[in-house]
Amino acid sequence: MIAGMRSRVACAALAAVAALACNEGLRPTTCNGICGTLAFSGTVPESTQAVYVVAYHTFPHSRDSLFNFQPPLPSLHALPLGGAPTFYDIPVPAGRYEWVLAVWVKQGFNLTNADSTLREAGYYRDSADTSQPGAVTVAGGPADTINFVVDFAHMHPPCHYYNPPCQ
Amino acid sequence: MTRLLIFLGLAGTLVDTAGAQGTAVLYGVVTDTLGAPLRATVRAGDRETTADGEGHYRLHLAPGRVGRVTVRVNHLGFATLVDTVVVVAGDSLERDYHLQAAVVELQPTIVTAAKHSQLLDQSVTSVALVSDTDLARRAVSGVDEAVNKAPGVLFLSGQVNIRGSSGFVEGLGSRVLLLVDGVPANQGDRGGIDWDMVPVGDVDHVEVVKGAGSALYGSAALGGVVNLITHDIPVGFHGRLRATGGTYANPPYDAWQFRDYTGGLGGLDATGSYGTETLRGSLTLGGRHSDGYREQDRSDQWETSGRVEWLPQPGTRVTASGAWTSHQYQVFPTWCIPTACDTRGQAFQPFMIDTSGRGSYTRSNKGYVAATFDRTSSPTFAWQARASWLRTHFTDVNPDDWSVANRLGAELRGVLHAGGDDRVLTVGVEGARTGVTSDIFGDSGRVGDHTEIAVDDSERTTVVSPRIGAVLTSAFGTWRASVGRGFRAPTVAERYVTTRALGFQVVPNPGLRPETAWSFEIGNSGAFASWGRLDAALFWTEARDLIEPAFIAVFDSATKDTTLEIQIQNVSRARLRGLDASVTVTPAPALTATVAYLYLDSRDLTRDTVLSFRPRHLLTLSTDYQWRSLSVGADFRFTSRIERIELESVFGQDPRVAARVLDLRAGWQQGPLSARVLVTNALNYIYNFVPRTLEPVRTISVVATWTY
Repeated sequence: MIAGMRSRVACAALAAVAALACNEGLRPTTCNGICGTLAFSGTVPESTQAVYVVAYHTFPHSRDSLFNFQPPLPSLHALPLGGAPTFYDIPVPAGRYEWVLAVWVKQGFNLTNADSTLREAGYYRDSADTSQPGAVTVAGGPADTINFVVDFAHMHPPCHYYNPPCQ
Repeated sequence: MTRLLIFLGLAGTLVDTAGAQGTAVLYGVVTDTLGAPLRATVRAGDRETTADGEGHYRLHLAPGRVGRVTVRVNHLGFATLVDTVVVVAGDSLERDYHLQAAVVELQPTIVTAAKHSQLLDQSVTSVALVSDTDLARRAVSGVDEAVNKAPGVLFLSGQVNIRGSSGFVEGLGSRVLLLVDGVPANQGDRGGIDWDMVPVGDVDHVEVVKGAGSALYGSAALGGVVNLITHDIPVGFHGRLRATGGTYANPPYDAWQFRDYTGGLGGLDATGSYGTETLRGSLTLGGRHSDGYREQDRSDQWETSGRVEWLPQPGTRVTASGAWTSHQYQVFPTWCIPTACDTRGQAFQPFMIDTSGRGSYTRSNKGYVAATFDRTSSPTFAWQARASWLRTHFTDVNPDDWSVANRLGAELRGVLHAGGDDRVLTVGVEGARTGVTSDIFGDSGRVGDHTEIAVDDSERTTVVSPRIGAVLTSAFGTWRASVGRGFRAPTVAERYVTTRALGFQVVPNPGLRPETAWSFEIGNSGAFASWGRLDAALFWTEARDLIEPAFIAVFDSATKDTTLEIQIQNVSRARLRGLDASVTVTPAPALTATVAYLYLDSRDLTRDTVLSFRPRHLLTLSTDYQWRSLSVGADFRFTSRIERIELESVFGQDPRVAARVLDLRAGWQQGPLSARVLVTNALNYIYNFVPRTLEPVRTISVVATWTY
C-alpha cells in the first residue's frame, strides 16, 4: 500500500511538472497594443520639445477631455524627429479608439498652456474616407499596421477640433 | 545613523548534563554506512563542532562538562545518532559514528532563530535550511542562487523576498537582514544586500528565518533573516580548488538575436586552511568572469576572504574574519522598446538595452572585518562580544553616482541555561553606527561636491519590537506559534537620494518614518509516514507605513510648469497572509523529493489592491537520486504571474508571464575529485519579474572540484 502511494506521489509530481512546464514564456511580438509605421513630412520646427503617438477612446471635443488619452502621460515615449519612416508601438488597454494621432509638443509645455503648445501633427485615417479619422479596435490581440504620416507643415491646435472650433 | 538594539530572549532548548570536573577531548570520524565522510555536526551538551571534509571531528569539553555525556551527531539526510559516553577528566576518547540515511534530518541544529544553538524543531518561528549537501549538489556560483531555492523564498532581480516581504524597490532597502556568521551585512547607505559579499565556497550552510526578527536583530529584519554560516576550520592542512566554465544560450528566436557569438562564463577559486588545537586559519582567493546573457551584461569579480581562530583554553575562542570583493559589471538598465532603440520591428527586444543606458557601468567594492570573543564561563553560562566594520563603495557610470558607507557594529550577548534542560535566557545589547559619504543624497550636510550624512537626535526613533512564541511536541508532530513585531528604519538612500530613475527625477524625503509590522504564525512539522515529512505554517503579517516609491506632481510657480517626480514615501498599510508548506518524501532509498508551496494573499489596504511584485503562488519541486558515485537531480519552480507592479502607469502594459523554470544537474564524486554538470533554466524559458528586465536564460556549466 505504501509502495502504491509512493508511486502515485511520484506520478503526480511528474504530471505536475509536465503540466506546468508545457507553456511558453515571452515571445517575439511585433505589436503591444497599437503599432505601425510613421512617415515624416515637412521641416521639424526648432521649438520642438517632442512628438508622441496617443490614442483617444472618444474624440476630444473639449478642453476637459484633452488629456483623456492612452497610454498615460508617464508611459509616453518620444518619437524620432523626422528622418526615415519608423516603427512605433503604444501599449494601450483593449478597446475601441476613435482617434490615433501624433502630438507635437512645443518647448515650454505645461498642463496650463496646452492649447498654445500642443499640435495635432497627423493621424490615422479612415481608408473609406481619408478626410476622417479611422477607428482602431484592440481586442484579443494588438492592432498593427496603423500607419500614417506626421506632417510638420500642417499641424493643428487642439481647439481646432473642439466643438465649436477656435478661429 | 546610529542604532541601538537591546534584546532579551527566553526559549526552550535541550541541555545535556555532565558530572565530574576537568577537561577532556572527544574525537573521531563521522561517515555514512558506506564509509563516505560526512561534515556532520557533533554536539555534547552546549559544545558543538562540525566534522571536516574527511569526517574528522574534535570536541573539547569544558571544565564541569566531563563525566557522563550525551552526544548527538546530526547531518541533513541522515537520522540523528545519539550516544552516551563517559569521558574522564583530562583524558581523550575516540568515538567513530556511522549515520544511517533517513528520509529527512530529524534534528538539525540552528543558531539564528533565537541567537543561540537550538534544535530546529524547537524554534518558535519557521526556519528553512540550505544545507552543505544542497550547496554541493547545486554547485552554485553565488549565495543568492542557493537561497533562492529555499521554501518560501523568491528573488526578484536580486532582491530577496521571504513570504513576499520586500517586493521590489530597485535595491533601495531590503526587508530581509543578511548576516554573515551573525554579523549584519546589509549595505549602510541603500540598505540592500550584496550577495557577493562572501565567496560562496566559504559558506557551509544557510539558515533562513521567516517572519519579523527585529526582536533579536533590529531594523531590516522586518520580513526575515538570512544567516550565512561559514565553514569551521578543521585541524591539519586542507585545501580546495574549484574551476567553473559554461555558456549561455542564445536567444531562442532569430528576431531577438543581439550578438554573433555565444556568451560564456568561468571562474576559479582556491581555499587553503591550516589548523592546530589552538590556532587555525584559512584563506580563500577567487575570480570569475561572465559575458552575460544580454547586451551590455559583462561582469568581472575578484574576491578574497580569511579567518583566524585562536583557542587559548577550553571554552574560549577568539575569531577574526573578513572578506573583500571587487565587482565590476556592466548595467543592463531596461530592455529596449520602440523609439528607445532600433527594435527591428519588434514590440520589445528583451536582450537589447534602451540606448539611453548605453555605457552604464558599476564598480562595486565591499568587504567586512569582524572580531568575536566567545567564552563559556561555566556549564550554564556563555557570553560573546563582537565588533565589526562593514564597508561598501560603489561608483556608477551613466548616471554618474558614487557612495561610500561604513558601518561599525558591536554586540555583547550572554546565554544562560537557567536551570534544567529546557530553559535558556538570552540577554544582549547591540549597537551600530553608519557613516555615508556620497554625491546622490541631497544637500544635507553637503561638503564640496559630495554629502556627508549625519543623523541628529531629533531623527532618532525608539521602536519596541517584542516577540513571543511557544513550541509544543505532540503525537501529531511539533506545533509552533509566535507573534512578533518588526520594524525597518528608512535607509539613507530612501531619505536623501537625489537622482534620476526611469526618466523621472527622484527627490528626497527626509521625513520618512520607520515601517513596522506585526507577524503571526502557527505551524507544524513532523513525519507523516516512515517515508515522508511535512512542515507547514500559516502566517499573517500586518504592516504599517510601508516605504514605497510614489509619483508626486510638483508645480513650479516661477515657470508655472507641473512635472511628475518620484519620491519614497510612507504610503501603505498592507496585509500579507498565506500558507508556507513543504513535503519531503523518499519513495526509494536513494531517491528524495521535495515539494514546497507558498500561497500568498497580499493586499495594499490603503489602495485596496494587490501589493505590487508579490506573486500569489510559488511552487518548487526538487528531486535527487544517488547511485554509487553518480547523482542526478532537478529543480522545477513555478511562479505565478505577478498581478501588479509598481509604477503601473508606466509599465502596466508591458508583457508579463508566469515563470516556469527547470534546472537539471548531474554529478560524479570519487575521493577528492568531483565534477558536476548543471543546466539551469533547461527549457530556456524567457520571462521577467521586474519591468523590462530579463531573467537568466539557459546556462550550461561544468564545475570541477579538488579537495585535499
